[in-house]
Amino acid sequence: MPAPPLEIEHLRVDFPEVVAVNDLSLTVGAGDVCGLIGPNGAGKTTTMRAVSGLQECTRGLVRVGGHELAHEPEELKKRLGFMPDFCPTYDQLTASEFLDHFARAYDVPDRSRRIEQCLELTWLSEKRDALCEELSRGMKQRLVLAKTLLPDPQVLLLDEPASGLDPLGRIELRKILLQLRDAGKAVLISSHILTELSGFCNKAAIMERGKLVMSGTIAELGQKMGCRQMSVKWRNTDDRALQILKEAGVKNLKTIAQGATFDFDGNADALDGLLKILVVEGVRVTEWRGTGDDLEQIFLQSGAKELM
Amino acid sequence: MNIAENPIFLTQKRLTHRAGVLAAILIAALIGLSLLSGLIAYLADPRDFGFSSPQDAGKMFYGWTIGVEILVLVIGGFSRISNVLANERKAGLWDSNRLTPLQPSQLVVGYWFGAPLREFYMSAILAAIGLVIVVLGRLPLMLWLGTQILIFSTALFFGLLAVLAGLVAQRPQSAFVFLILFFFLQFPSFTMPKFFLTNFLLPIYGIVSLFNYNHDSGADFANYEWSGLPQLFGLPIYPILLSLALQFLVGFFFWRAAVRKTTNPFQPLMLRWEAVAIFSILLAAQHGLIWGQWNGQFPEPAKAINRYNDRDSLLSIVHCGTILLAVIILAAASPQPESVRMKVMRLGVKNLAAIFSGSAVSLAVALAVLAAVVLLSQCVFSFANSWEIYFIAVGNLLTFFLVFSLLVEFCRLRFRRRALGFVALWLFVLCVLPFILAGVFSNAAIGKLSLLSPGIVALANSNDENLNYLLGIVAGHFGIAVLLFLGWQRQWKQLLARASAIQN
Repeated sequence: MPAPPLEIEHLRVDFPEVVAVNDLSLTVGAGDVCGLIGPNGAGKTTTMRAVSGLQECTRGLVRVGGHELAHEPEELKKRLGFMPDFCPTYDQLTASEFLDHFARAYDVPDRSRRIEQCLELTWLSEKRDALCEELSRGMKQRLVLAKTLLPDPQVLLLDEPASGLDPLGRIELRKILLQLRDAGKAVLISSHILTELSGFCNKAAIMERGKLVMSGTIAELGQKMGCRQMSVKWRNTDDRALQILKEAGVKNLKTIAQGATFDFDGNADALDGLLKILVVEGVRVTEWRGTGDDLEQIFLQSGAKELM
Repeated sequence: MNIAENPIFLTQKRLTHRAGVLAAILIAALIGLSLLSGLIAYLADPRDFGFSSPQDAGKMFYGWTIGVEILVLVIGGFSRISNVLANERKAGLWDSNRLTPLQPSQLVVGYWFGAPLREFYMSAILAAIGLVIVVLGRLPLMLWLGTQILIFSTALFFGLLAVLAGLVAQRPQSAFVFLILFFFLQFPSFTMPKFFLTNFLLPIYGIVSLFNYNHDSGADFANYEWSGLPQLFGLPIYPILLSLALQFLVGFFFWRAAVRKTTNPFQPLMLRWEAVAIFSILLAAQHGLIWGQWNGQFPEPAKAINRYNDRDSLLSIVHCGTILLAVIILAAASPQPESVRMKVMRLGVKNLAAIFSGSAVSLAVALAVLAAVVLLSQCVFSFANSWEIYFIAVGNLLTFFLVFSLLVEFCRLRFRRRALGFVALWLFVLCVLPFILAGVFSNAAIGKLSLLSPGIVALANSNDENLNYLLGIVAGHFGIAVLLFLGWQRQWKQLLARASAIQN
């Protein structure tokens, strides 16, 4: 069985006055996009820097594709791409020259073609000859993302990748991340804006004061939380549907136009069962979803919100 | 990977060319051509100039040319490299480059040769014009070749130092200030140029002696002082070779430090064996240069090599230099409390013995022992007469090294970010204040209380009465070291306790 792309075991990072990361263990498998969630100062960036080798760890193991950071840093560098939360670029180089610098450094085969691919992927083809200093913050962000993707790394660490992007850029970033997920990459992505992460994270790890509060797939976390807020909409009459929901024991049932919201205590299977009953009983369900985003719900219920 | 394929070098080249090199090259060319035209004007009509021969004129104009070249390549190159690196560190580009599979040595080489490209171009123009001046001035080609080799090697030497400064300094300007300070400290050595290491590490003696190729008598004081072969433990050696050897040896340790810091910025700047090695090399070379003054029979003269020298002060100045060198090494090797705390937590080492072995205090003792061994070479054949002087000097070195290393670590532990100010304050009180008070109260005895004084005074041929007083002062200084040791020990214990508390 191949080693998971990213394994973190009992990671600890100390700063002079604070334990920045404390006993963090996390595994990100191939095709996983794991959202590292937490308020400012939770230790997300420090975790990313420690995993990439930029921050010295006090204790713990980091393995990328089975190669340990402490013993095989060179192997790790080949397999890992790190995009920091700011955009370090050479202002006096053009976008393509900037990528060329890193393509040479990573010894990327067929350099020119790969640079074009990455520029296209990040919608910067038209800006290939523009100086980095002429690019907007969002474009620089995309350029650094392109640089991170250049060597086609097995594991991607993206620290607040959408912080400088406009709404369109965020949508496109989401598309890229979905492509990477489909390509089997392991992605660890941090953000304190949960709506950024929803829709493409299949796993989440919630941090608070350097500690991992909980981690797992979104479904697992939802189950751990026990209660999730749901929204349902239908086309035909309200009465039968409301009756079914009441009989199922949902809490805080509120009617909305052509639908209802409610809190559900059961697990994912029970929730699926409830939907099945509604459909079987002839309710023409047009929408069935958690209100807000799942990640947001999980986060809000995790207790980490107190620090936000 | 050769340098032409090094991505860092190529990018630095791109950045340099994009910022423009033509203006810089033209400035260099204009300066060089102005000097060349001066020589041509002299050759066309010598009556308008005060030179005695074409060679004299050539030396003057070539001297100015290489002066500008040194300014551009050594000072400008140092400034450029340290600035580029510090700025790239600040911008996060250094980290981005470190995360690539490039070898640390490739990163160092890329910045070392790539960042100062503009300065290389300018100096190449000046060197080419210098060659024309040398030919027209009918000067030996060896003058051109020798000076250019020395300038280039010095630029590389300082380039490596600049890489280190850029990797360590928070503000690149501070590295430049350090360089200026180094040049100022150089001036006292000009009085006896052949006997001081700094004139070879910076190849001032080598360059000036190349200009003095045709001095024919000792009548000219300046020529006498700056010509002839220096001696290393009595063996004559070519100044160019000595400069190159010294720069290579010290540069080797700079290279190791730069690569180590690139591999892992949390690694120490200097390993303990490197600190010992670099101190031994420089100290042995320095004592080798002055060996001929006493031939191991200090304080009695064995052979007066230099009739112009005030020999009495020579060993005192070397003593000061030894202290300065040790201070630099100890400051660089002194561990940051935070890194020690991390190590304690990582390895679970929680005793003071481990702290002591990693501290600069043990290194201070090692350096003092080394200095004692090397100093012994000056009085090895007259030890029966000079043992008191010797022990005062060695005792002074030991107490100074101990007090300094303890003070640095104590202040780092106690005052953290304000440590530098408190170290400076205490050094001022211990070293400088006694001299000020001696001046205010017109009492020379107070000046001898300075932490610097006992060794300097003793080595300057003191009388027996004075020696007893100095021995007493050394004992007093040792008392200060003991007090500091107790404070130092307490601070480390507190740090260990904090580390244990956090770990649990």
